Amino acid sequence: MSNAALLTLAEARARLGQRDISADELLQACRARIARWQPRINAFIDTELRHAGAASGPLAGIPLAHKDMFYRAGRVSNCGSKIRKGWVAPQTAAVLERLDAAGAADIGTLNMSEFAYGPTGHNEHWGDCCNPWNPDYITGGSSSGSGAAVAARLVFGALGSDTGGSIRLPAAACGVTGLKTTWGRVSRHGAMPLSHSLDTIGPLARTAEDCALIFQAIAGHDARDAITSRAPVQVNLMQRPLRIALSSDWIEQNAHPEVARAVLAAAKVLGATREVKPPAFDTLSAHCLTVMQAEASAQHLQWMRERPQDYSSAVRVRLEMGYPIPAAQYLEALRLRTSHLEQFVSTTLAEADAYLCPTIAVPLPTREQTGPGGGPDMPKRLADVTRLTRWVNFLGVPSLSVPCGFDSRGLPIAMQLVGRPFAEGTLLAAGHAYQRETDWHRRLPPE
Amino acid sequence: MKNLTHETIENLFGTLGVPLAPGRAERLAPAVNGLNVADPLREKLPFEVDATTYVLAQERCR
Repeated sequence: MSNAALLTLAEARARLGQRDISADELLQACRARIARWQPRINAFIDTELRHAGAASGPLAGIPLAHKDMFYRAGRVSNCGSKIRKGWVAPQTAAVLERLDAAGAADIGTLNMSEFAYGPTGHNEHWGDCCNPWNPDYITGGSSSGSGAAVAARLVFGALGSDTGGSIRLPAAACGVTGLKTTWGRVSRHGAMPLSHSLDTIGPLARTAEDCALIFQAIAGHDARDAITSRAPVQVNLMQRPLRIALSSDWIEQNAHPEVARAVLAAAKVLGATREVKPPAFDTLSAHCLTVMQAEASAQHLQWMRERPQDYSSAVRVRLEMGYPIPAAQYLEALRLRTSHLEQFVSTTLAEADAYLCPTIAVPLPTREQTGPGGGPDMPKRLADVTRLTRWVNFLGVPSLSVPCGFDSRGLPIAMQLVGRPFAEGTLLAAGHAYQRETDWHRRLPPE
Repeated sequence: MKNLTHETIENLFGTLGVPLAPGRAERLAPAVNGLNVADPLREKLPFEVDATTYVLAQERCR
């Protein structure tokens, strides 16, 4: 194999099983690509081996790396921040324990937005993470390093967290597959909190099949995270039929023409023909922001009192937003969540297994356009990028972002498939079916 | 809900002990007030629903 790092996780696993390749060869292939790509994209924070892979297990010997917010006892988790720079974790995250038990190698920590509170991949403390397809453009955030590292084939998969789009945005912007899990599906024990009513953990990988392998290793009840469900973790990638709903008119009228064309073409491949009224994206997104900002600001209250100067200006502004939100408004948003979830399932998904829409409906902006010097258009650009992700977090349902094309600048376009609570298996089956018919996920960023 | 004024916001920050740069409250007010959106489901919200009933809804909606 000329470059083992270019295999998918499932392919690498099969080659390891056949003894066509060794775990050490996989690791060296990844390390060689990290050495070449890291100066260009700044995806890694630390490349020191954190956990050696095992000889057995469903992910035996597979090199992974994770967002720098999943704690490992005795090791540093900087959380993308100055405030937690050099902080040594006292415990290991449940998800890392499970990946260790599955035999995966943990080969470093990945860049992220400061405290996972930013949708672009900018980071003034650790340096911006850059898009492998063109470093002038954003990676999406907050799991920026996870998206960039998987896209550049530096690792076979990575964990991210998704509170308002932080797995799906970098997956979409970097051209990889990302699974936002159901709220309560994956334990958050030992992971940095942002907003407890919305935080979820999931994989970014090259394919839906690869995401399924990581998802099955990490999902399931954990007594240390009281909200985790006992719902069985079932994935059958050959599950059929798959009934997919969409709102073609909304996509044509609201998405950029290149995005609309790619997503509607993907819908045809998936046989998505059930037209439905779109969910109230903007209302749900506003409720999501109410909950996220109130909870994140409460989580950071002590540091905002004592060390406000140690936050970047962007994160400090976001945290300031949460304090004036009235408690009644915050709790009313949480009460409305039940009604909106029931409405989504009983109307949008009444005759479908998944709802299809773009992950990002606008052309990807540059880092300059969305950074500290972005000017008066910057807030609108950020709102456009996140318009179609937050509503999913408010409902708490799963969503799979899948690459489905490229724009005229050569940057990835993605769709997302949104399902019922705990229906990750259905979404992964749909993503897998699509990727058997297309090759967007196999394309490589220019060397 | 009524819109918050920048004076109210400044007082809130003072109460919480969080420093706020001069002029920030004026810029925060419209952003915070913008989150208080109209929602037709608000009027139909049953009295008995609270934040914890969402977990039960998740099970019903599987």
